[in-house]
Amino acid sequence: MEDSSLIAEYAESLAGRLRFDRSLARCVRQEVEDHLWEAVATSSTGDLLEAQRRAIADFGDAHVIAAQIAVVSLAKQIKKIGVTVVLVIAAIYLAMTTRVTWYDLGQWALCEDRRALSGTIGLIDRSTFWLAAIGGIAAWAYIGSRHTPTTFHPAYREQLRRFFLLCSTATGALITSVICDGVLTALRLWGLEFSFDFMVPIFSMAIEIACAGALVVHIRGITQRLASAAALLST
Amino acid sequence: MRGMEGEMLKGHLDMIVLAALAAGPAHGYAVIEEIKRRSGQKFSLPEGTVYPALHRLEEAGLLASRWVTAESGRRRRVYSLTKRGSRGLAEQRAVWEQFSVAIGALLGTARPWKTPA
Repeated sequence: MEDSSLIAEYAESLAGRLRFDRSLARCVRQEVEDHLWEAVATSSTGDLLEAQRRAIADFGDAHVIAAQIAVVSLAKQIKKIGVTVVLVIAAIYLAMTTRVTWYDLGQWALCEDRRALSGTIGLIDRSTFWLAAIGGIAAWAYIGSRHTPTTFHPAYREQLRRFFLLCSTATGALITSVICDGVLTALRLWGLEFSFDFMVPIFSMAIEIACAGALVVHIRGITQRLASAAALLST
Repeated sequence: MRGMEGEMLKGHLDMIVLAALAAGPAHGYAVIEEIKRRSGQKFSLPEGTVYPALHRLEEAGLLASRWVTAESGRRRRVYSLTKRGSRGLAEQRAVWEQFSVAIGALLGTARPWKTPA
């Protein structure tokens, strides 16, 4: 029993360091155990315990290997954020365009007393949306053009800082744009008798809110993982 | 003999791993054995350092992986070169050959600089 626990303990200690990503930790554990047991099976020593010790020693320091794997995993997740930001912006743009087209087709008129307010909010909406689009595309292009690092070196930290700055700008601007869309939709629908035609504006607004919310949750989740991984990598 | 310097190897680890997989799909342990065999046991890195390289190369699209069940019953991850990986290896091989020839010529011609007459 003691013989078999050496490899299990080592694999567990390595996988435990990657617990910020459970799926990765599980895969790495299986991979490491397979490697070590194969090394034991091909070992020339007849002593099983010694063969395990040798296999583990040849494999290397669990902390160093876990840190190198963590960097690769983080780089992958961060690139996914870049793609998510661009997809969310595209989805919101589609929802906005659909709603505006629907207004045009139905010739929905806006009350005279709301036009000035609507114009100001519309200007803020357009400005923040294009700021979000530029920031999101820049973030995606920036991180997509970087090589996956081998270590969590200071230059990579600087790249991450720039990336999150662009992402935060894009997300903040996008949320402002969605809020403006919500206000514009309310101004458009306020005072009208509810009809089936309301479904398109309401549904498109729901999509915008869901997309923006999903983006915030996604970025928050990755930031938490990044903090856990950074703690591992800095020790 | 401890083998080649670790730092020197680390700089070329991605190319070494790609070259080891050029023979066909293999799991991590087999990749390491192939590296040892083809290098005449001269490359001696901690074996575990190959796994971050495998993950990194997969992330870059140069390798693909799939899980299989080994004869032992254990789950095993098998890596293979993608088309992009094969192209990447060919490019790295060409760069390395040029570099190797240049360094070889530099080190092999230890003659003093000729000064103009």
